[in-house]
This record gives sequence, structure tokens and C-alpha cells, in this order.
Amino acid sequence: MNEALNILTRGFVRENPVTKMLLGLCPVLAVTTSAVNGLGMGLATTFVLLGSNIVISLTAKAIPDTVRIPSFVLVIATFVTIVDLLIKAYSPELNQALGIFIPLIVVNCMILGRAEAFASRNGIWYSVIDAVGMGLGFTLALLVLSAFREVLGAGTIFNIPLAGEEASTILVFALPPGAFAGLGLIIAGLNALEKKKGSK
Amino acid sequence: MRPIITLTLVGLIAAALLAIVDDLTRDPIALAKAEMKRKAIEEIFPFDIDSLKNVETKKTRFYEAYDRNGTLKGIAVESATTIGYSGKIEILLGVSPEQKIYDYKVVYHLETPGLGDKIDKAKFKEQFRGRALEGTTWKVKKDGGEIDELTAATISSRAVTDAVQRGLQYINEQYPKTEGK
Repeated sequence: MNEALNILTRGFVRENPVTKMLLGLCPVLAVTTSAVNGLGMGLATTFVLLGSNIVISLTAKAIPDTVRIPSFVLVIATFVTIVDLLIKAYSPELNQALGIFIPLIVVNCMILGRAEAFASRNGIWYSVIDAVGMGLGFTLALLVLSAFREVLGAGTIFNIPLAGEEASTILVFALPPGAFAGLGLIIAGLNALEKKKGSK
Repeated sequence: MRPIITLTLVGLIAAALLAIVDDLTRDPIALAKAEMKRKAIEEIFPFDIDSLKNVETKKTRFYEAYDRNGTLKGIAVESATTIGYSGKIEILLGVSPEQKIYDYKVVYHLETPGLGDKIDKAKFKEQFRGRALEGTTWKVKKDGGEIDELTAATISSRAVTDAVQRGLQYINEQYPKTEGK
């Protein structure tokens, strides 16, 4: 059980896919203009990761090494397309906001990375825990970054205005450079915290 | 031989799964799209819509909005422009039967968040209310027209002005003709 807990929690901060491994940065930087988008993208990615980890952990032994990667890509692409169709059908507002970034989950290297590094070498139980942990870690990172950018760049949080419509905002945080700066600040902050902890 | 069989099998299963999901979601997706459109139309008209009627023409699509008594209260038209800051902007323009603007809604755009995307905010849209094709110089103030452009988003403002004008032209040129058919 300890092992399971370890696998679950390491994705949160210690091995966070965004702030530690710097994987899947394309959606991280592109969609985090508002907290709703960040959360939606994070959960969609988590769902895909969960599906692909389950299928891959169950089938990895039957798949010869030579076609391993193409099979993984096919499995992931299938799940992404399913998520895309489901969002289009049941949450058109989210579809409008996330648009082309949902199909792009296919090329999120975090998912292929987990399939290759973890799910193909472990059983289904650990793979599920790994997917949930990593997915939540990814969602958490997206949520923090997008909330940070939304508050500073648009003066709102989850589309609720914080300081009236006329309040001046730091526009650069709503734009792509703000995504890089925000992510940099978060990583720097986490590293500083870690250093402090280590030196004690 | 084994890799080929495996990969073929994986592909076949994936294809079958996708076919099933596509089949299951096709109707809900069409429904969701129609629902989004209906919501957009309800947003741009200040009255309750009882029924909507689609009118298709060569260039665009009109939606006639009727109240409970079956009187035509407003016409919505799909319009678009390609001169936005990041390309295409699509709007849904609502006018009264006298062809005076009620409001519009941006249904598709890629303008800069925080700057150009204010074209969909009430503060900018208000100034279009009540205007008609005739009697308005359809240009932003910077270009000698009457539309107050958004600070730091002149290109987006210019594009919306263009889209609104096009919408009014569509109604003016094409709408009455289709009624006779």
C-alpha cells in the first residue's frame, strides 16, 4: 500500500510532469489563459492518460518491441479522439475554449512517456494509480499557472471579476510571453522551496 | 510476421471503437451545435423567441425570430470577415425587421486575449445598437468613421465593423429576395 501511495503522490510535486519533467509544455503554455481552460485541459489529459495506461499495461506483453511505439501512439490517438468527440457532444462551451488543443493531446509527450516508462512495465493496478497521480499533477500545474495568469492578465478568476471591469491588468500575462514567465516563476519558486528544505 | 499481425489488430480495434463512438456522438454533437446557435440567437435579441426559421441563401444563412403571436420580431444573419488581427472572425448579427441593429455576438475568432477579444464585450458592442446600413459611416474613428475603436485593438475593431457592415449588406441585398421564393 505504501508503494501505491508513493506512486500516487510523486506526480503531484516531486515528479510533477510540468514543473519537474517539463513534459507536454505545448498545451501548458497555450491553453492556460483562464482557470476554466486549464482545469478542462488537465482533466481531459488525465482521462486520456488513464485510458492509455490501462490498455497499455494490459496489452504490453502481447505487443512485440518492434511495433511497440506505433501501437502506443494508436491507442493514445484513439482515446484522444473519443475525448474530443465526447467534449464536442456534451460540453460545446469547453470545446469552443479548448478548440484545437484537444486533438493535440495526442502529441503530449507526457502520455507517451508514462506509457513507455511506466505502464508497459507494470501491472494494471499500479498503472491506474500512476495515471491518476500524474494526471492530477498535470492538472494541478495547469490550474495554478492558469489561475495566476487569469488573475494578473484579466483580473478575473473562473470568469468571476475580482476588481471591477475597469481595473487595469498586467496584460502581458494573458499573452504567450506571460505563459513562459509564469511557468518560470512557478518552477523557480518550487526549486527555491526544495533548496530550503534540503539545506535544513 | 507477428509485428504485422499485432499492429493490424491494434489498428482494427481502434477503428472499430472510433466508429462506435462516432456513431453514438453524431446526434448529440449536431444537437449541441444547434443548441449553441439557438443560445447565441437568444443572446442577441432583447425579446423572448418563440420559434426560429432558417432561411438559406447562396452566401449566408438567416434566422427569422418570431414571437408567440407569430410576428416577425428580428432577423439574425451569419457574417464573417477575414481582416481580423489573426484572420477570420465570424459573427451573428441580429437586426429588427426594420433592419436596425439589436446586437451581435462573435461566434469564432482568434484575436489576442485581453485586447482584441474585447470585441465581444458589451461596452464595445453597445455603440452598434440602433444603427442601420444607411446613415452610418462604417469605419472606425481612426479611419474617419463613426465606430469608436478599442484601445490597442484597432485592427480587431476595424474587422468587426467590416463584419457588421457585411451582415447588414447581406440582409439588404439577399434577404427580401429569398422571401418571394
